[in-house]
This record gives sequence, C-alpha cells and structure tokens, in this order.
Amino acid sequence: MTRENRALSNVRLVDLTDARAIYGVKLLADLGADAVRPVPEDGDPLANRGPLDESTGESLWYAFHASSRRFFRMSGTPESTQQLHLLCENADVIVANSGHPFESILDLDSIREANEGVVVVECTSFGKDGPWKDYAAPDLIAGALGGSVAITGDVDTPPLKPFGDLNFTVSGAYVAIAALAGLRHARETGQGQIVHVSVHECIASCLEHVFMFYLFGKNFRNARNGVLDRRGSLHWTDLYEVMAAKNGHIMVTPTPSLDNQLVWLIEEESFDDLLDPKYQEPGERGQWARRMMDVLRSWVAAKDVKSLFFEAQEHHAPYGWVQDIPQVAKNPQLEARDWWSTTRMDGKEIKTTGSPYQMSDSLVSPRKVEEIPVSEKSVVETCGWGKH
Amino acid sequence: MGKTLMRPLEGIRVLDFTHVLAGPFCTRLLADMGADVIKVNSASRIQINAPAGPYFTMWNRNKRTVSLDMNHEKARDIASQLAQLADVVIDNFSMGVLDRWGIGFDTISQINEAVIYVQMSGMGSGGPWSNFVTYAPTIHALAGLTYTTGIPGRKDIGLGYSYNDHQAGLHAAVSVLSAIEARRHTGRGQRIDISQFEVAVNLLGPTFMHFFRNGQSTEPSGNDLQYDRIAPHGCYRCKDHQSDGESIETWIAIACLDNAQWKSLCRVMKNPDWSKDFKLSSAVKRYANRRFLDEQISDWTRNFDSRNLMDTLQRAGVAAGVVQDGRDLMESDLHLRRARFIRKIEEQHPRMEDTFADKLPIDFEATPCELYRRARVLGEDNESVLSDWLGLDSESVSRGEEEGYLR
Repeated sequence: MTRENRALSNVRLVDLTDARAIYGVKLLADLGADAVRPVPEDGDPLANRGPLDESTGESLWYAFHASSRRFFRMSGTPESTQQLHLLCENADVIVANSGHPFESILDLDSIREANEGVVVVECTSFGKDGPWKDYAAPDLIAGALGGSVAITGDVDTPPLKPFGDLNFTVSGAYVAIAALAGLRHARETGQGQIVHVSVHECIASCLEHVFMFYLFGKNFRNARNGVLDRRGSLHWTDLYEVMAAKNGHIMVTPTPSLDNQLVWLIEEESFDDLLDPKYQEPGERGQWARRMMDVLRSWVAAKDVKSLFFEAQEHHAPYGWVQDIPQVAKNPQLEARDWWSTTRMDGKEIKTTGSPYQMSDSLVSPRKVEEIPVSEKSVVETCGWGKH
Repeated sequence: MGKTLMRPLEGIRVLDFTHVLAGPFCTRLLADMGADVIKVNSASRIQINAPAGPYFTMWNRNKRTVSLDMNHEKARDIASQLAQLADVVIDNFSMGVLDRWGIGFDTISQINEAVIYVQMSGMGSGGPWSNFVTYAPTIHALAGLTYTTGIPGRKDIGLGYSYNDHQAGLHAAVSVLSAIEARRHTGRGQRIDISQFEVAVNLLGPTFMHFFRNGQSTEPSGNDLQYDRIAPHGCYRCKDHQSDGESIETWIAIACLDNAQWKSLCRVMKNPDWSKDFKLSSAVKRYANRRFLDEQISDWTRNFDSRNLMDTLQRAGVAAGVVQDGRDLMESDLHLRRARFIRKIEEQHPRMEDTFADKLPIDFEATPCELYRRARVLGEDNESVLSDWLGLDSESVSRGEEEGYLR
C-alpha cells in the first residue's frame, strides 16, 4: 500500500469490527492508518450488505465501509491463528466488536503482555456485562433503545429509524475518537490500555434536546412529562420546519434574527398580524414567534422553492432546500470543492463520497484495498510491521 | 515516555471559539478526555453563547472560559497571545471572523508552527456556497438526510433532532486527534477545513455509490431495509402504558435479519396460521409482502407490554427493542442506570438550579474520564486562564475588567 503523506501513516491497526464500528476504522484507514482486516476463509460476513453493484453483485456498502484496508484471509489453521497474534503483537491499535469471528482464538492477555503499548478498543452494543449485554441490536434496534427512533417520525407515522446506518456511524465515529485518544496517551506514556465503547451510550449521547427536556422540562412549554413527542420536522425550539413551497420542500426558520425575517415579510407585504401590539406584551415573544411560523407556512406555499432558497441565503437566513439524491450528486458547492472521490472494487473505479475534513498537510481519501497473499512470508513481514 | 497522565488528552491546550452545538460538542469531547479547553466568549456574541441556559450547560462542561470584548484591541491582543500558545484553535463562526480579529490561520501559524487550526463552517472554505448560513436542519435538507428519512410520498419529515451537529463535532474531534498524531512525526500543525455539509453527505456514502454505479436514486422507505430486502423490519405498536392517568403509546422495534430469527419470532408468536402462508416462506417473499406481514405482527404486538415483549423476543434470539423516549432512557433503561449515564454535577451553578452531565460514552481502563465540572459563566475563569496561559497577575486581569476588554 502506498505510503503517502497521511496523518495516520505511522499507525498500525488490526480491524476486527462489524457494522457497529466498521465506519470508525474507515475513518482511521482513510486518514492513513495501515488497517489490516482478518476475514474468515469463507468470506467477510459484512460483504453482502446492500446496496449492491447491479452488474456484478458486489456490495457497495462494503466497498464504502471497508475502504483503504489490507485483507488477510484466515485459514482456520493454528498457523493462521499465530499470524493473527503476531499481527496484534505488532499493532498500535486493535479495534474489535464483541462477537467478532476470531474472538475465541484471540488471547488478548498474552497480546497485551507482548505489546504493552497497544490500544484495544472494544465496542459492544450494551457493555461487557449487565442485563442487556447479549441483546442483538442491528441499527434499527440500537436506535430504538438508544432514543433516536422515538424522536423521528410524525404524529401519523410510526417512530422512524434515521435512514441507513446513521446510528452506527455515530458509534463508529466514537470508536475512532477512542482509538486516537488512547493512542495519544500511549505515545506519551508508552502504555496502552483497553478502551470500551458502548453503542447504546454513543447514540444516547447524541440526541440534542432529549435529556434537556427531561432534566429541565419546566423551562419548555412543549415538554409533556419531560418528553417532546415526535412531530415531523418541527424542531424542539418550534422555529425550524420543513414547509411545502409551490414546487418542492424547504426547511424554513426565522432564526437567527426574527426581526430580520419580519422586515423581509413586511417588504413582501406578507406580515399578516405580526405587527399587532398584543405581541409586544411581556411574555408574548414566544407566541409571536409561533405566529410567525404560521405566517411563513402560508407565505412559503406560494413561492418557487429554488428562488426562495437563494433569496433566503442573500438575507442571511439559513433556509435549506430539501434535496433528493440526484440533486445532491450534482451540488455546485461539492463540485467547486472537487469533493467527490473514487474507490476501487474488483479493479473498477467507483465514484464515492469525499472526506468529511480537508487537512492542509495530509491526504484524506479512500485508497486501493489489497489482499495479503498467503505465501511463505509472514503477514507481519508482508505488511512491513517489524518493531517500530 | 514514562510520563503519567490521569486522562488521555492531558497537556493539550485548546482555544475554543465555537458556539451553539457542533463546535462545542467537539470541544466538550476533548475536554472530557482531559484537554485544557478555554472557551472564548466574545462580548459581541453573548446572545448566541448565553452561558446560563440549559442548552449551553449541556455542551460546555469541563471547559474554562475567558470573556473578551473583541471590539477592543487589547482583547484581540490577548486572544492572539492565547492562540500562539494553543495546540488547537477551533471555531465554527462564519468564514473570515477570526481573520478579521487578527487570529486567522495564516497569522497564527507564522508564530505557532505547531498549531492545529480547525474551521468548521457550514459549507467549507471556498466554493459558491461558502458564505451560506446553516444550522443542522439546513444541512439535513441540503445533504439528502431529510429526504431519505421519511415515508414514501413525504418529504417533510427528516430527523427529529440536530443529528448532524453531533456528527460534525465527532468528526472534528477525529480530525484534531489525527493531526496531533501527525504532528508528533512532523513537528508541524496544520489547517483543517470542516464543511458540516460534507460531513453529512459522507454519511450517505453507500447511497451515493448506488446512485453513481447503478443510476438509481434512493427514495424514503420508512423503516424498511430497502437495500437488503429483509422483513420484518419495523416498529410495531404495543399495549398503551398508563402514567398519571394518561395513556401513553408504546412501540417495539423488531428486525429479523435471517431465517433463523424469523422462525424464532414465529415460535414466540405460537406459529399462527398466517405465518405459514407460502407468501412468507422466504426472505424475498417476506420483503415482497412486508405490508401484510407488518399488519399481522402489529395485531399481535398490541396485546403486549413492550418491555416484557422485548425480553421475551431477545431471549428467543430475535433482535427487538423498546422504542425509548427521553423518559424511558431516564427511568427505565437498565443499561444507562447501571452506567450512571446521567450524573448530577456536584458543583452548584451560580445562576441555575442543578446541572447535569451525560457521561462520555468511552471508558478508558487506565485513564478513566470521570470528571464532570459544570459549565462556567461569563468571565468566571478570566484570572485562572490568563494566569496559567499568559502568566498575568490578578491586578492586570482586574485592570482589564475595569477597562472593559475583559468581561
């Protein structure tokens, strides 16, 4: 694998993840970590996840998540177990999900004895012990128990799962942070450690208003028993909502300046009763803001969605035009920043998403994946993973 | 080598010019793990940074604060001195604000070569939309997250919370920690440009690959697993729960990812006749007939308490979970209770009643991050920060407060 100028090009990582943490290893590998993923002889259990390439049947999901890796096919022999141990003994970081295919043959204690500086990130659904430790939790179940599903959806729909793997990309990002923070400590002190990440806690920590409503419920008019019921796109502040325009949908908000929004409505002679002195009474500001949202709904309904979006941005109003996938794919901002990337699968180049960050001195992007050949050379030797 | 650190990021100095959620969430993570995070409250932006409200206290624990009136030259000079000593400078203001204050990357990196300078704007630096103003719901709409999270025929649902602000914060933390590792080998810092829009689009990677490779768009599909064509996979209504004389709806999520789980579900349901229907005999057929399947399962789940049913299904090997709202998470979640996930912060906030911390969901075995200090009020740490970082004495700080450039 090419050694380019990447932030993590001195980091050796063994990847024993499943869907709960694989995104975290993708982040680290795209940043340059030399990530080796041992896979069972009969193939990676994740390699069939949809969407698939319709011409080849290959998994696009897998091509995205398992980018920038080297793959090491375990043969099930004692020799391959030994190879795996040697790899771990020379790694800086091991990232493992509970229940990974090699859990029963991996002796973490002896690995840590041989490699004192190694950081082991263990990612579980609900912790290593406790009442739910063996509960199965794919993304939908993780989101249901974690709290993201209850607040997504509308009064007339069931609770809805955030699309795709949006719960597991949260736990994946936390896993990457855990690995890097543990690595920083190990670099400073020479001491590795085990770092534990619970998917359930990760999801619960990213729910914006949810705990605030329970803990400070009396401050919020719309809290019912400390909970805000699901209500479509209407934000907990009552000030952000997706509205229907004449020919599309747009997220509309009068923030950050309700006064500026009022001026705009006045210019368009669409202010209705918003200048009524009753709204000047003490304590009526909230009522006025909610009334403004009603006025905006009627005003937006007659507008061309595209013109309204650009006009709003000229007014420094953070409206957001609801875009479908083809529209995002040709977004002019992404084009101008030359953002889209490519990855390779089965020798073919596939266009994919770019990096979530641009670093001035380090490349960040997917790299070609490689299969480590089974040969007389050891895996550690092939990888060039001698002692640092 | 040989050092001892109580927390993994001890010794890292972060100068924090962030506001609202995305930026503060990133610096909260760094602070939780031991970095010395100094939040700069600019007097001209007090409204946004209002430090005595619940929202602010949630995202700004474990940081110290210094309050500067950036309209004042002496305040800008202090900010510059702090930036020269920082390992990390981070802002999520509109592009160019820190440049106007004389503490942009080009200026600071001349003096502080090792600085890691993070700008996390809505749209990133450069490009026709770089000056667009955004909040998380704006980003969700523009990035395709609002469109894809919903049900067929509806484009107005989307995520019910500022999901991408959290993700932008998490990704910013990944980039900062990676740059710290890079600096160890190069001795140099670097500039990091984070577009919150690009963070969001990246999260839909497989969906865009599906579009580019297969030429197919992705439509909202509720709780269906549309790419993998697996059913049942959804949320089903259970028996209502009575609380304080009020009837509260409860739901359970059930996902059968393989035939074994489907058969287990059938066994728990006592193998009703409808489950033996030929049209449900394979995964492909179950997906094709998923609406029928959902109706039958809903009729069954309505007879059960959601929590008991979850336990029964999980014991039988079926992935199932109660759809928990905030109250459930606080009062009924066995895992969170055991982990002491929500903690009352011991130190009393001077202007609020009790304040709380949700624990960092990362447990370091050797360097536990168990310290949770309350969010600070405006100017509360002026003296300690300026003494620790710049060696100013209390007299100089008092003078600054009297002259008004320190608040």
